[in-house]
Amino acid sequence: MIRAMLQRSLLFALLWWVLVEGRPDSWGLGLLAICAALWASLRQLPPGSRRLSLTGLLGYLTFFVSNSVRGGAQVAWMALRGRQALQPAILEWEMALPPGAPSVLLLNTLGLMPGTLGVELTDDRLRIHVVDERLPILAEVAVLEAHIARMFGVGT
Amino acid sequence: MTGLEMPVALFLLANLLVALLVAAHGPTAADRMLVALLFGTTGVGILVLLARAGGRGALVDVALVIALLAAITGIAFARRAWHDKEHPDA
Amino acid sequence: MLEMASGGLLCIGAFFFFAGTLGLLRFPDVYCRLHALAKADNLGLGCLLLGLALQADSLAAALKLLLIWPLGLAASAGVSYAIARRADALGIAPWRRKDP
Repeated sequence: MIRAMLQRSLLFALLWWVLVEGRPDSWGLGLLAICAALWASLRQLPPGSRRLSLTGLLGYLTFFVSNSVRGGAQVAWMALRGRQALQPAILEWEMALPPGAPSVLLLNTLGLMPGTLGVELTDDRLRIHVVDERLPILAEVAVLEAHIARMFGVGT
Repeated sequence: MTGLEMPVALFLLANLLVALLVAAHGPTAADRMLVALLFGTTGVGILVLLARAGGRGALVDVALVIALLAAITGIAFARRAWHDKEHPDA
Repeated sequence: MLEMASGGLLCIGAFFFFAGTLGLLRFPDVYCRLHALAKADNLGLGCLLLGLALQADSLAAALKLLLIWPLGLAASAGVSYAIARRADALGIAPWRRKDP
């Protein structure tokens, strides 16, 4: 409990320092803001209820950033080539992740990954719109799913 | 200061205008909803460029708040979509 | 050196915004247009923010600029899924290539 409070206070202090661009004259108000944020965070997300794996998070973030760069470049190239570059289709994916935050994260990450866009999530089936069905997209979704599972510490 | 900020900001503004017109004309209602996406990214981009070009740091705060509101909107949408699934009648 | 990198990033960012708009103009249906806007515009915003952060006055100011990126990403991800889902619920069929 104490450890979580310290960690979070430090995080909020860092955030405040960034928001005021390092000006030293605003720490009075900052202290107030940090206390308010700490209170709200302890209320909304009590410590210990859900633990994220730090290495899993780093793995996910690296995967996410590199793939969103690739996704942007790919779609930009398609836009330059026009509609003959497209071969859209809707694919079905069976969710192995538990419902709740892991599923929602997968669904929303898909919108920024190369060539995929979540369309509908029903129970454990996800319908994905892909811009080009010739690409090995489902294999990439499986990699993303494994990253998210590792981050939340759940089996797929 | 590279001097590029203002030209790039104007270029983005032209982009935003074209995109808004296209999206607003879109054949379906879903096309018209694309406008919501445009402001979250292009609008924020223009604001940060103007902040640098005009030396007005406050515009960065404006961009940050717009991005924050857009993020909250996005998360609220996503959460609602999730809850709709559990209560199909809602 | 730093200025050149920053200028380069600004130009790359502008290119991705342009590609996003081009996709909006040229892609045949709302789903493909969502791909273009969500991915290309966000990458453009990322490049722009990185470019400006390189020439920020202090570390804190640079981090503040970079803080905007994840917010924009979260917004695009959530909103684009909501639009796709709504389009699907409205019965808008995805465009398919005629000659497979």
